[in-house]
Amino acid sequence: MRKASYSVTRLQRHGYVFILPTLIFFSIFLIYPIISAFRLSLFEWNLLAPKEFVGFKNIIKMAGDPRVLNSFLRTIHFSAVSVAAINILAFIFALMLGSRLLRYKNFWQSLIFLPVVLSIVAVGVVWEFMYQGTGILPILLRKIIGVSPAWLTDTRVAPYAVIIVYVWKSVGYYMVIYIAGLLNVPVSYFEAARIDGAGFWAQLFYITIPTLRNTIALAMVSCIIFTFGQFSIQYVITQGGPSRSTEVLSLLIFREAFRLGKFGYASGISVLFFLTLLVFSLIQLRLFKSGAIGA
Amino acid sequence: MRITKTAQRTILYVVVGFIGIVFVFPFFWMVLSSFKLNRDILAIPLRFFPPEWNWTSYIRVFTAYPDFNFPRYILNSFIVTILAVLLCLFFSATSGYGFAKYRFKGNGLLFTVVLATIMIPFQAIVVPLFILVRQMGLQNSYAGLIIPESLTAFGVFMMRQFFYSIPDDFIESARIDGANEYAIFGRIGLPMANTALLALVVFHAQWVWNLLIWPLILISTPEMVVLAQGIALFKGGYNTPYPEQLAAGVIACLPLVILYLFLSKYFVQGITMTGLKG
Repeated sequence: MRKASYSVTRLQRHGYVFILPTLIFFSIFLIYPIISAFRLSLFEWNLLAPKEFVGFKNIIKMAGDPRVLNSFLRTIHFSAVSVAAINILAFIFALMLGSRLLRYKNFWQSLIFLPVVLSIVAVGVVWEFMYQGTGILPILLRKIIGVSPAWLTDTRVAPYAVIIVYVWKSVGYYMVIYIAGLLNVPVSYFEAARIDGAGFWAQLFYITIPTLRNTIALAMVSCIIFTFGQFSIQYVITQGGPSRSTEVLSLLIFREAFRLGKFGYASGISVLFFLTLLVFSLIQLRLFKSGAIGA
Repeated sequence: MRITKTAQRTILYVVVGFIGIVFVFPFFWMVLSSFKLNRDILAIPLRFFPPEWNWTSYIRVFTAYPDFNFPRYILNSFIVTILAVLLCLFFSATSGYGFAKYRFKGNGLLFTVVLATIMIPFQAIVVPLFILVRQMGLQNSYAGLIIPESLTAFGVFMMRQFFYSIPDDFIESARIDGANEYAIFGRIGLPMANTALLALVVFHAQWVWNLLIWPLILISTPEMVVLAQGIALFKGGYNTPYPEQLAAGVIACLPLVILYLFLSKYFVQGITMTGLKG
């Protein structure tokens, strides 16, 4: 780039003015709160009485609290199953919509994308309705395969009922990311592979997936972050039940703080939540960097 | 053995068609069921189409429940969404431009800090954020809803990527003509970015419109409730009939579905711009 003759450094300082509003607001409303969560976890506080410093009492209590352990495991389970299902399905759908045999791609894409733009609360309402004992889902299942589980009352099934809704709602979003990624793979790669006699699977594992590594990594990491914090579907459909089988960490934080008034304790759970997510995201990024997946 | 092209194509269409139906069905079912009478809605045997089309649920949502003020919730949702999106555009466009177009000291570091906030999920900071916003006296206020909902590192990232991709020549020549930096941003940078800005509008509007946890925490006065929260309370509070719950759901979906019909190109663009180009 050509440098102008007038005072370059003074000119470049205008950059600070442009980023200043964002820096201020991000510091106050995002960075300060996360630091504050660490600090608050050392206090006992219901917002009414003065804050009481209790040191690591909250953290020790958390370690022995079966409810926290339950929510922690439920969150991991919900996230692991959802993230895997979403990304695998999104990738398959993207491959199918990318096929040269298929026409009206935009139409098909918009059908699968529709749930992404629907109101999540409305989605919760209609799925809860469809899962009812005499709702359409059990009726259809009984007709086709003869049996239907008690979707929302069986503690072994309810977590999957929630996962199905979440996967259905999210797949379109990641599919679009993968479709864009696939368009970036140079066609010449596939042509060369075909000349060499590589079949569909060989092309998939030796060309498509390795070339899309960055896309896959970013899709997975953002999916983990969004999925970990999922709150609305559980809140609307199951309220964490039956028997806390769908009480994920975000729901527990909400209840401990805003229903029970334990703000210090809820901050402790928030810290656990944040650190777990951080570890998972970093492991994920490392895996992709070291090339454990793909080429 | 090789399968013929026609057979492959047929299988593909059947599979894709089936998937398409599965993905659209719940919305279709929501609309259809909202027109049923309460006695037909979970009747056995299943009545697929409404035996008689019934519009009254859409009226009853607004009139039959004195504890719920849906017109107000809709208005609140629109106010909060529009202002939060505008504020988000302001933050994202200015800082994206600043990070992309100026080489000041600490640029890389500060950008990394902003980008790292992606790792902070909203649900992890709701407790301290609530305490902070409450101390500021913004509980039960539009500002309390709007400000935290307008901040997204995705937006900053997306606008920076965009401004990076436009050549500096336009800016340089405007400088030589004597335009000041802010005029250049307003007259040259912003107009060039309108596609990216629209993508950000639909991307962010969808998030704000649907966000439930923050209003649920922050808002306790009935006149400040937003639509998503109103429906959640409507569903949970009473023994509300399903047709009316579903009618409220359809109403909540409509603005974004309409936005999507007109701007679907930008929905897709917004996702690919944030999802790609690490």
